[in-house]
Amino acid sequence: MRFNRATALGLLVPALAFGVAACGDDDEGGGGGGGGNVAEGTTLTIYSSLPLQGTSRGQSEAVINGEKLALDEVGGKVGKYTIKYVSLDDSTAQNPGTADEGKTAQNARQAVRDKSTIFYLGEFNSGGTKVSLPILNKAGIPQISPSNTYIGLTTDEPGSEPGEPDKYYPTGKRTYARVVPRDKIQGAALVSVMKEDGCQTATLWNDKSVYGAGLARNIKQSAEQNDLTIENEQGTDKNSPNYRAIASKVKSDCFVWAGVTGENGVQVYKDVAAANKTVKLYGPDGVTEEAFSNPKEGGIPASVGARTKTTVATLGAKDLPGSEPILEKYKQEYNTQTVDPYAIYGYETMALALDALKRAGDKANDREAVTEALLSTKDRQSVLGTYSIDANGDTTLTDYGLYVIKNGQPTYSKKIEAAVS
Amino acid sequence: MSTNTATADPASHRLSDTLREAASKYGLIAVLLALPVYLAISDLISKGNLTDLGNNLVLGLSNGAIIALVALGYTLVYGIIELINFAHGEVFMIGSFVAFGLWGTFGISEGMAVPGMIVGLLAAMIAAMIVCGGLNVMIERVAYKPLRNAPKLAPLITAIGMSFILQNVGILWRGSSQASVPDLINQSNDLVTIGGVVINNGDVLAAAVTIPLVFLLTSFINRSRLGKAMRATAQDPDAARLMGINVNTTISMTFLLGGMLAGAAGLINLLYQTSIWYFQGFQAGLIAFTAAVMGGIGNLKGAVLGGLIIGCIGQLAEFRIGAEWTAVVVFAYLVLIMVFRPQGLIGEETREAG
Repeated sequence: MRFNRATALGLLVPALAFGVAACGDDDEGGGGGGGGNVAEGTTLTIYSSLPLQGTSRGQSEAVINGEKLALDEVGGKVGKYTIKYVSLDDSTAQNPGTADEGKTAQNARQAVRDKSTIFYLGEFNSGGTKVSLPILNKAGIPQISPSNTYIGLTTDEPGSEPGEPDKYYPTGKRTYARVVPRDKIQGAALVSVMKEDGCQTATLWNDKSVYGAGLARNIKQSAEQNDLTIENEQGTDKNSPNYRAIASKVKSDCFVWAGVTGENGVQVYKDVAAANKTVKLYGPDGVTEEAFSNPKEGGIPASVGARTKTTVATLGAKDLPGSEPILEKYKQEYNTQTVDPYAIYGYETMALALDALKRAGDKANDREAVTEALLSTKDRQSVLGTYSIDANGDTTLTDYGLYVIKNGQPTYSKKIEAAVS
Repeated sequence: MSTNTATADPASHRLSDTLREAASKYGLIAVLLALPVYLAISDLISKGNLTDLGNNLVLGLSNGAIIALVALGYTLVYGIIELINFAHGEVFMIGSFVAFGLWGTFGISEGMAVPGMIVGLLAAMIAAMIVCGGLNVMIERVAYKPLRNAPKLAPLITAIGMSFILQNVGILWRGSSQASVPDLINQSNDLVTIGGVVINNGDVLAAAVTIPLVFLLTSFINRSRLGKAMRATAQDPDAARLMGINVNTTISMTFLLGGMLAGAAGLINLLYQTSIWYFQGFQAGLIAFTAAVMGGIGNLKGAVLGGLIIGCIGQLAEFRIGAEWTAVVVFAYLVLIMVFRPQGLIGEETREAG
């Protein structure tokens, strides 16, 4: 083989490029779980990454407003550090209402490249966190989600997939926490409500997303433990123009869809309600939003709304007295009469992050120290009630609220006593 | 150098041709009937009636009627200039958007008197047909006509480009999420029940609009001067030009007709699905193009037949096997049909096919 200078150069250039890329990758993932991973400067950045397009926009804006409110309350400062807040969109015009994998990875990489990053608040969708969590974990950046409920992000309990949750933590150290109870609780809450409403049989569909499929497994598991017969399990395709064929098979007392509005949830409920005029309809937090419940916003018709109940891991003011001042402040600040349930979660997500920074003290710029403070949260008195964060990053809260639809708005009805075993 | 063909016996050739033809004909029939016949027998054994099958087929036919309307637009254009007009599905989507936008203008709302609603919807349909027809002609003028003598790949790429442009117009117009629209015709209302088989308002609407439009279109193509010019251009554009036919005008008229059908389908889809989405055209377009190929590209009857068959197969698969298998079954059918009959069910009517 002739090995001239041109050939040598041809081999050398890609080899160098590969080497540089590999070094870049090392740099991006630097920190290895946070060992000596210190954010630079006296201004620390907290990133938020949520879907700002499509049906989840309303919920995301509520989260952002809640986060800003909590940050404003401390004057944008923790100790000697000034906190900068950057909001990113993890959805795209072509993939709205949910986390787009490519955009989510881009957001996480942006936070990693920013040497002042101290927290990453997101994603809204569990499927998005599956993408951002390993990237952020590698860089040792602590992450809090205001809304993820998928069980496999933190535990290997039934409902998770093989290899979870370890595959999301390449450093072997936990860097993630959430302020909403995982789907084991929500699944039990939905089953409790259906049983309370006299359901003996329930049709269970899901939107085939990470969140939807995981929640469906949890609902099924809870149903088996509570003598609720699950029938006609189906995964629905977002792109399907209608679901009339499978809806015509719904003969149960109750129907529950584990999914989010952006996965064609409105059409699912319309078709099921039309095919079975008496079936009671239930949905999770993924559809507890105006885009789903308000016909004027393209949501389900009022007649279908009247038959629909949903669950969210937040309680109304009557069952959560501590939230009233915050809700009032929120209404004044954002000049609104209605507060999306997720505003409170946004508020608490930021409040928890700021609390962890405060507890880290002089090391508030040290990502490892901050992560340690976050995961050692104990008996925190918050707007959601008193809770701790366990070693997995899960909240110890188990309260779920039942919501009905009134005038197109998800309206708090009562606290659910979920039978979790 | 001798070859096998040179030494082959002509009699054995004739026999193999006959066998191939028989396999193509009867194999195709077997493929088409396999699923419904199996389901019919299974229903009769387990339930003693064919109610479920009947309901599946009614729903399939009404879904298929809408697919057929869109498929006609693909087949018209392909038949005449042998171009897959990828933007056709998006023209259909714009038809839905235009029609929905005009509901407010024409004061159409749920609960209004039936005569007023019929007049309003007819006006919205005509407006959508005009807008979509004009849009399709404009697309042809801007993106396809300048490339008439270019390699075939060039207009194909501009067609895909137009498809994406229109999708983004849809996003800018109505946002990127699926949205529910008022159910003006109470589409799920059971109109008639025959032996347990339910026919509802939506089914009747799909048939009531599709059948006359297909009849009008075929009559127009077969009997009018312009229709004859279209057929002549489809067969041989140069010969048609020599016979005094204005080929450019004829092609534009084909796009106009295709666009008008898409506009009508847009309104029917709006009333039938009671939802609207910028991506609806891409999805429907893919299925409709499959229907056109299944029936025999360039063939109007083939497009309608393909649409109805895909509608029925889709519903049967969704109901019996599960929603996640629908696309698998539909495209498996397409592959099988193509294997037995590459020219489609009724046969291509293109220059390539002869």
